[in-house]
Amino acid sequence: MIICPSCHHKEIPGALFCSQCGAQLVLISPFDLPKDPMNKNVSNPKQNISSSPIPPAWTGDVRISLHLVESGQILPLADRTEFSLGRVAEGQPIMPDVDLTPFKAYENGVSRLHALLRLAEKEVVIIDLGSSNGTYVNGSRIAPNVKHPLRHGDMILLGKLKIQILFSPDYE
Amino acid sequence: MSKKTDYYTLLGLSRNASPEEIRKAYFSAARRLHPDKGGPPQDTERFLEVQEAYKVLSNPQKRAQYNATLPPEKTESEFVKQKVLYSRQGMTRLKEPQLVYALIEYSTAIDSNAPPAPPLNLCLVLDRSTSMQGKNMDVVKATAIQLLHRLRQGDTLSVVAFSDRAETLIPATNNVELKKLEARIQMLQTSGGTEIFQGLETGYREIRHDLKKSHVNHIILLTDGRTYGDEEKCLELAKDAAKDGIGISGLGIGAEWNDDFLDKLVSLTGGSSLYVSRPQDIQHILIEKFNNLWQVYAKESTLEFKLGEGVDLRYAFRLQPEVGLLPVESPLRLGPILKDVNLKILMEFMVQPPSGQTEDVCLLEGEFKVSISSQPIPVHSVAVRLSRPMADSTGLQTPPGEILQALSHLSLYRLQEQARRDVIDGKYAQASRRLQRLATRLLEQGQRGLARTALVEAEHIQRKKKFTQEGEKHIKYGTRALLSPGQEEDKP
Repeated sequence: MIICPSCHHKEIPGALFCSQCGAQLVLISPFDLPKDPMNKNVSNPKQNISSSPIPPAWTGDVRISLHLVESGQILPLADRTEFSLGRVAEGQPIMPDVDLTPFKAYENGVSRLHALLRLAEKEVVIIDLGSSNGTYVNGSRIAPNVKHPLRHGDMILLGKLKIQILFSPDYE
Repeated sequence: MSKKTDYYTLLGLSRNASPEEIRKAYFSAARRLHPDKGGPPQDTERFLEVQEAYKVLSNPQKRAQYNATLPPEKTESEFVKQKVLYSRQGMTRLKEPQLVYALIEYSTAIDSNAPPAPPLNLCLVLDRSTSMQGKNMDVVKATAIQLLHRLRQGDTLSVVAFSDRAETLIPATNNVELKKLEARIQMLQTSGGTEIFQGLETGYREIRHDLKKSHVNHIILLTDGRTYGDEEKCLELAKDAAKDGIGISGLGIGAEWNDDFLDKLVSLTGGSSLYVSRPQDIQHILIEKFNNLWQVYAKESTLEFKLGEGVDLRYAFRLQPEVGLLPVESPLRLGPILKDVNLKILMEFMVQPPSGQTEDVCLLEGEFKVSISSQPIPVHSVAVRLSRPMADSTGLQTPPGEILQALSHLSLYRLQEQARRDVIDGKYAQASRRLQRLATRLLEQGQRGLARTALVEAEHIQRKKKFTQEGEKHIKYGTRALLSPGQEEDKP
């Protein structure tokens, strides 16, 4: 049995994507791979996402925490390799993995599904999910649906909500 | 063709063909090539070769002697190339079932002076029920007339209109009085309900009128409604059509039609279904369909197969040329191979723990058959054997990018399928949750419009315990479309 890192569903060995949540179960992104030259028709602009040139600092032995700068609170993230950040809105079925409503998400312009944090092998990335007010890393806005690598201490803004990314050693 | 053509190729058979198959192939070839038919002189020459081939192959002793003289069987034919990719290099000796994916690709092995595409024998079967009134009918009429004008010499187009009964507007003839035919289409009025069998049956009759092996024989069904009570009869007809080498494609317009039924119907013939959400799209979708039919290089490709021991084919999906789910039974009807677009099939196998010390797991064994109308020997077959070595342990295996990419999209299509099943089973919360996950994945891939639809449906299911008809189709065909390469961002 293999366990989906995202939703903990049990999958049959050899499966490449989780049948329950669609998460990829192998560690490479399908979009980072060179395209098949046999495929004359492939001209997909959204697949030209390049992997980061910056050497990532994450070694896989650490945990991630979100430091909500305004309230000073620290949210440790655990047990999964993927977290969607957003806010729960009344009467809406969207359930982000990390609900930022208690931190004035609405007032700060956080979208319901704002961004995605992903822990890949030796790398942590953030992906803006096409939010209304954008995602900023250390002051510059990142393009939607493109992976952006994160390092310890990076300051991100979801709309106007300030969050610092912390990597801490894994004590388990 | 060179003198070296072996007797099996000549008759379009594989080397392990049964005596019965040999007999049938011989009679069919002899009928086709018989000098009394008045074909070109090469036919007579080939007729004699076929006689010789049958004399040898029908005699077990001579056949064995002949087999001994043959070079080892190639897995490639002169006309069709086969390429297989696997998701893993080998299987691991485990005490539990495991999965492996195979991507089979068939391409045409033609050079630049390729033979001309075979002529079309096409029938448009048009739904003229009351609900088609207005813009839908206007666009359908305009498109049908446009297609009439685009016919090449040798092409045949017949047009059938149906409601609760059917009539032939244009019979299958090479009638060139375009003005008259145009007028007949213009006269078409909407009325009545939708009984698909009526239309299909009449269309089938028209196609059979001009049925030729050398043509691409195809029915295009346009409908916007649900048919009641005659589904079984339609499916039986589709099976018969497949045996005659007739393909059926379906175009569903709007939200009301029954996509499960139409998908099932067309997949029996290797055809595909298409979803048209807005009337203005009818035209370009139909014309694209036409262009594809004009590109047909090899038709009626089928894969006859037997699965290996302890192996289950869980899923088969055609990625190209026309994306669609395939029913997982032998023979798999795969539809045509186009000149410029390869045929690609993705399969998911589940392998049970092996008994004993197998070194090699056979997943599937069979024969890929295809008919190439421009060739004197129309049927070609390629031996197919999918297998993986079995080892005690295997290191980290990186699946080929092409398989990962296809599966990343296919997993979305399957989430959608499961959500539909959840709703049928009354698991509304689960269906809703699944659609939310689907939306997250879609957003990641930049499909904002489709993601929004998924979220709206997730909410709708929570409140009303069902999909909206429109949203359900939008998500299904939207995620399916992601699988075809070159797919652009969906329109909001």
